[in-house]
Formats: sequence, C-alpha cells, structure tokens
Amino acid sequence: MPGVAATPRYHRRRWRDRLATSLAIAAAGFGLTWLVLILLVLVVKGVGGLSLAVFTEMTPPPGSAGGLLNPIVGSLLLTVLAVVIGTPLGIMAGTYMAEYGRYSKLTTVVRFINDILLSAPSIVVGLFVYEIMVAQMGHFSAIAGAVALAMIVIPVVVRTTEDMLLLVPNTLREASSALGLPRWLVIRHVAYRAAQTGIITGVLLAIARITGETAPLLFTALNNQFFSWNLNAPMASLPVVIFQFALSPYEDWQQLAWTGALLITVAVLGLSILARALSSKKVQI
Amino acid sequence: MMDAAVAGRDIALVHAEAKRAATLRRFNVGDRAFKAITEISAITVLVLLAGVMLALLHGSLPAWRTFGFDFLTSQSWNPVTEKFGALPAIYGTLLTSFIAMLIGVPVSLGIAIFLTEICPQRLRRTIGIAIELLAGIPSIIYGIWGLFVFAPWFQVHVQPVLIDTFASVPLLNQLFAGPPYGIGMLTAGLILAIMVLPFITSITREVFETVPPVLKEAAYGIGCTRWEVMRRVVIPYTRVGIIGGVMLGLGRALGETMAVTFVIGNAHRIVPSILAPGTTISATIANEFTEAVGDLYTSSLIALGLILFFITFIVLAAARLMLLRIAQKAGN
Amino acid sequence: MSLAIHTDVKEPAEIPEEIVVLAEKVSVRRLNFYYGAYRALSDINVSLYQNKVTAFIGPSGCGKSTLLRILNRIYDLYPNQRADGEVLLDGENILGPKQDLNLLRAKVGMVFQKPTPFPMTIYENIAFGVRLYEQLAKADLDARVEDSLRRAALWDEVKDKLSASGLSLSGGQQQRLCIARTVAIKPEVILLDEPCSALDPISTAKIEELIDVLKRDYTIAIVTHNMQQAARTSDFTAFMYLGELIEFDETTRIFTNPKQQRTQDYITGRFG
Repeated sequence: MPGVAATPRYHRRRWRDRLATSLAIAAAGFGLTWLVLILLVLVVKGVGGLSLAVFTEMTPPPGSAGGLLNPIVGSLLLTVLAVVIGTPLGIMAGTYMAEYGRYSKLTTVVRFINDILLSAPSIVVGLFVYEIMVAQMGHFSAIAGAVALAMIVIPVVVRTTEDMLLLVPNTLREASSALGLPRWLVIRHVAYRAAQTGIITGVLLAIARITGETAPLLFTALNNQFFSWNLNAPMASLPVVIFQFALSPYEDWQQLAWTGALLITVAVLGLSILARALSSKKVQI
Repeated sequence: MMDAAVAGRDIALVHAEAKRAATLRRFNVGDRAFKAITEISAITVLVLLAGVMLALLHGSLPAWRTFGFDFLTSQSWNPVTEKFGALPAIYGTLLTSFIAMLIGVPVSLGIAIFLTEICPQRLRRTIGIAIELLAGIPSIIYGIWGLFVFAPWFQVHVQPVLIDTFASVPLLNQLFAGPPYGIGMLTAGLILAIMVLPFITSITREVFETVPPVLKEAAYGIGCTRWEVMRRVVIPYTRVGIIGGVMLGLGRALGETMAVTFVIGNAHRIVPSILAPGTTISATIANEFTEAVGDLYTSSLIALGLILFFITFIVLAAARLMLLRIAQKAGN
Repeated sequence: MSLAIHTDVKEPAEIPEEIVVLAEKVSVRRLNFYYGAYRALSDINVSLYQNKVTAFIGPSGCGKSTLLRILNRIYDLYPNQRADGEVLLDGENILGPKQDLNLLRAKVGMVFQKPTPFPMTIYENIAFGVRLYEQLAKADLDARVEDSLRRAALWDEVKDKLSASGLSLSGGQQQRLCIARTVAIKPEVILLDEPCSALDPISTAKIEELIDVLKRDYTIAIVTHNMQQAARTSDFTAFMYLGELIEFDETTRIFTNPKQQRTQDYITGRFG
C-alpha cells in the first residue's frame, strides 16, 4: 500500500498539526490572561475605595474626601432618558422592517444603514448632537447627553426587535388574522408577546452598552461638580467623572476613578448576564 | 305581533351591523396609523445618518473654507496661530488601528480555533460566554488600566528591551527609538488589540460554526490532521465571513476613543518611532473639544470628526457587505 | 479465519465450479456503541470480505450508518460517542487506543450521503488528498488525478474544466468527485453511506455501475435505504434492526430465502 505508513512526510504533517495546536492554545492563554488581569486589577483597585460615602457624597474638590453620588445619579438619569427616547423609536422601526416592510427595498437600506450606525464611532455621535442641540441651545445640557446616548440605543433596539420579530413563526400571525384581527392588533397581541423576551433582552443590552460610554457625553452633558436634577444644565455622569479624575494628578481623585470604573463594570456585566439568562429561559406563550 | 318581532330583529341586526362597521373602521384607522408610525420610525433611522453627515459638514465648513485640501496634509496644530492640520491625527488613527489588527487578528483567530476545535467540551461554553461578556467591557476601563498598570510596566520592562534590541539594526532602530515614555503609539495599539480581541473572536467563532459538519468529516475522512482541516477546508469556506468580522473589528478600533486617549500621549506630530507619543482623531477631539476657543478651532475638530466618520463608514459598509454574503451562503 | 469452498477439479465429467476463496478484510466482533448512555449498537458480529461489496440494510434508526462510521472511527470527533468491542482491519484492532486515526482513514475511505466537495478547484479536490501522503512530480500528480477521475467515471465530463470550482458541478457529479477524491489516496476499504440518496436516478445508476467496477480493487461497504440497490450491487447483505444484526448472508440468499422472519418481513415491505 504505497504512501501510507509512518513516513517522514507523515511525521512532518503530525509535527505541523501539533505546532498549530500549541499556537492556538498559546493564543487562547495569552488573550484570556490579559483580560483576566484587567478584571483582577479593576476589582483590587476599585474595592479599595468602596465605602458607603461613595454612594452618599458628592464629588469632592481635590484633596478632600467625597463620593460619586452626583455622577451615579446622573448616569442613571441619563440612561433612563436615553432608553425612554430611543426604545420606542427603535421598536417601531424594527416593527416596520419585520412586519409591514419585510421584503421592501426600504427595509434593506434601513438595515444596512442601521448596522453602520451600530458600530459608528460614538464620539462622532457626540459631535452630531453638539451641532444640533448644544450649539443651537447655547449651553451644555443633560437632555443633549440623553439624546446622544439615545442615538446609540436606537440601532441596538432596531436590530434586536427586527431579529426577534422575524423569529416569530408566520403560522401564529396567520392564525390570529384568520380570526379577523387587523394587522396592528396581530402585531400588538401576538408578535410582540411572542418576541417580548427578545426585545427586552435587546433593551438590556443597549443599556449595558451606554453605561460605559464616555465620548458622547463629553460635549453634550459635559460634567457637573454638584448634584443636579436640572435637565437643561450640564449633568455629571460616571464615565465622564472617571475620565476627569483618572487623568488628574490627585490620588484621591484617581482612587474614586477606579471605584467608579468598578461600579460601571459590575453594572455592565450584571446587565449582560441578566440579558443572557432571560434569553435562554425561552418563555412559552 | 309578527311584524313587531321582525322589526325588533331587524333593528337588532342594524345595530349589530353598525357596531361591526364602526369596529372595522376603527381597525382600519388603527392599521393605517400604526403602519405610518412604524414606517416613519424606519425612515428616521436613515434621517439620523443623513443628519450626522450634514451636521458634521455644516460644523466643519469654516475649517474647509479656511484650509481647503491642505487640512488633510498639514502637520501643524497650533491653536494660538489658528493653524490646524489633520495629518498627525489621521496618521495616529491608522497606525494604532494597524498595530491593533496586526496583533489582535492572529490571536483572535487562534482563540476561535481553540474554542471550536481544541477546547474540551465542558469548558467550551464557559470560556465562550466569558469572552462574550468581556467584549462588553467599556473602553474606558481599558483606558485607565492602560494608563495606570500597563504603561508603567511597559515602560520599565519592555520598551528598554525593544530599544536596545533594535539599536543596531538599520531602519528598525528608527522604528523603535527611545526614550521609553511608557505611553505612546505602540502602547495605544496594544491596548486596542486587547480590546478588540473578544469582539473578533466571537464573530469568527460564529462564522466557524456555519461550516457543515459533513464537510469537516469528509476532510477528516481522507486522513487530514486537525490543522489541515482548519487550514484547507474551514478557513477557505469561511474566508469572507472572517474578513467581514475583521473589518468590523477594524471599524471599531478606528473609532475608539477612551481606550486610546489615556495612553496615546497627545502629541500632534509624526515621528518614525512607534514608541513616541502621538494622537488620534478621536483622542484629539476628546481632549480638546471642551477647551477649544474660537470658531476655527471648534470647526477643525469637527472636520476631524467628519474624516473619521468617512473612514469608518467605508470600512463598516464593506464589512457588512461581506457578512451579508456569508449569511446568504449559510442560508443555502 | 478464512472460508474456502473448493471443488475437486480432477473429475473431467463435472463442470468445475469457481474456486472461491474469501479473505476477511474487516472483522467486527462483539461491538457495542453508545451515544452517551444510550446503546445504539448491541453485540454486532459481521465481516467484510476482501474485494466484495457488503450492503447494510434496515429501517431508519437501525444503526447501519452508526456501524459504518465506526469502521473509520469518524465518530471519534464527537466526545459523547464511544465504542467497545473489536474491529479488526487485517487482523489489527482499530478500536485500540494506540491506533493512529489519520493512517486508519487513509486506508479506509468514506463517501457521505451529502456530496461534500471541498472549497477548491476540481483538480485540487483530488490533488489535496494525494499530496497529504505522497510527493509527486507534476506529471505524476496529473496522471493520478486523471486516473481517479476515470475510475469515478467523471473524467470525460470535467477534463476541460479542472480549474473550475468543485462546487460548480451538479449533485451527481459532485458525488462522483467525492468518490474520485477517495480512491485517489489508494485506500483498501471504501465505505459508502447512502451515497445515492441525494441524487437523481441517472446519477444513481452511474454510481451503481461504478461500484461494480471499484470492487475489483477495493473492499466496499455500502449503507442503503434502497433494497433494490442492495440486491443489485452487493455480494453480501447484512440486515439490521434496532441496533442489532439480525441476519448476514450472501445477497442472493437474503433476498430469496432469508432465515429470519424479521428479514423476510422487511424485504417484503411489511415494515419500512
């Protein structure tokens, strides 16, 4: 039987296979090590500054003790506003793409453009909102920051809504239409209900995404040393405060930056895990 | 008596019909209204993109009018004399992204191959989920980690070694010239590489999973080793998808702000050494926008934003087109 | 163990029968197979004789494909599946831990139900496998490719477009390409797992003719749903049911005079 035996050629092939396998394992080890390292450092340094004061006191001037109350509240407020602004628009657009305009040219174009907006640089989004809101209004404001974040929420929600609605089998729609329900009620009562887990997951993922976004807020909501509910004025947010404090030469500010970073990471990971748990539970109607 | 009953029945019928007609009208109006709302929302997405482009164009007009095409080629960046040029920022953006891709892509491919072929089954799901979670870590985390942990270590342990090793090699000694700042182009590129790893890995993994098992079995069936199956069958089969995923990662790296701003060093100049500080478009905007005084300064920064948007738009559009093609292939 | 049926040739009045010597190429002994905790094959004992075609028939889920996939240990790719028992190829147990899988698969080739051309040119599809094992000069490689394509009855149809993609061929042609690819590396045993089920009748007929020619040089095992195909192409037939081997005998005897009632029932279509 020619050619088949443990020839030198075969040994070379085996050797190449082993080399490739080792390289792949090394790559995995290398990549995962860095990522684990980052998380470890984050936890160690962040926990060092954790205390009740972080959640109850405002950001301090350099040299004195304080907390992160205003940026935490600010971030929460901005996130809620962004979701309120962006989610309905996103769901409606996704609904059109999956229900009314499933095979239309408009949907193809919108899907393409939406996917580009999904990965577009967030600093450009900040510039856009600056131009249309801050420059027009003459001052920075929380509402401008919320709009900037909403622009990041929208593409995520559009994508997930369309994907989830497309998964709903047509037989469900046909069954309810056969009863005489008009299109919009079919969507409301049947399609949405079937896709609701997925859509909620999408919103959670969008929230996770904007939780850590700094660039869009830098010149829209700006920052605020003090506690404020005023939507028409600059507002503090965790990412921007971290940016400011980390780049400063003051050690207590830097410590607060690490703690803030830990809080953001915990929030993002928590939301992602929640979204994952929701989507794997497969709610039956 | 009969007439009354018949009349009563007729009236009931008319009422019922009227009610049904009213309901159907409501349904009809509801349908048209709802459809209109959804359609307008979909169009709004397009309007948003157009809006971004228009707003950037509008805001950057003063800069283009003043500098013209020279804006793209000039290296000067002087807020005092109001002379601005985009070249250092563009160079920095491209260089850091290039370094990130150079290191990130092979490592990501390696991790994806590890996860789909080599990793023991029990660990596969855990590590896979871990990587996807890591892909969601905000870039500012990488930024501060880079500044406080990576850069000092890099400055003390790696950069001097690089400088010394290449000191006598012509050409390369220019590339790796000191002093060791810790921060700089290379550092920023490496941080970007780590950031982009989980992203490209998950896309590549998904793409690998579209290969029909029968095809892999056929290759194993003629006696191929695992590496031969990957190299000659799986990767060619998924080539378009991998390129699409890589380009998505590139698009992300190009637009990245926070991971880079902390460690790039903010120097508006172009020098041969990659160990030197520099700047990128997004870092420049992030650092200087709120301090920019004067219309021309602000306008120049917005012009930088327009350039970045343009570059990323092209990369992302090309990537999406490629991924569309592999989705169609998998559907067949 | 080898079976020999002789006739005394010395009697001039008797017409001499053929001297039939059957050598066992593959011998399956006491084989059990598990998907996780589920036992898919129970105590299988069967032989594949050299240069003969052995067909495996039986209703869906009886384990015939599972059995075939043990013969080249392709199930090894999946961690939940395991076999115990013995499978002897030329006397050596291929289920042993020391068995080199790549070398085994070079000796035992497989053609799958769905045609699987590699994402390469037609030429490369075949040359790829050859190059794994031998370093041939271009002229020799060309000759080997041509030889394999001829053996698969595909040469005339593709000789002018060897650099076209393997995927550009029709289903039947793709399957013949897979057969060419398998014979190119000169195996000793060829396993065919329902090779015609995805093909049209004309391609099916071509491949059945092929099998008849191929068996002169290779030992062949074929799993098929199509009883007529089994009757047409094979020398020996094994009937399987619910993971057990019910009957194994010469094809003519199985189809005309089976020993087991269940075999009879299956063949006459009482269940499918």
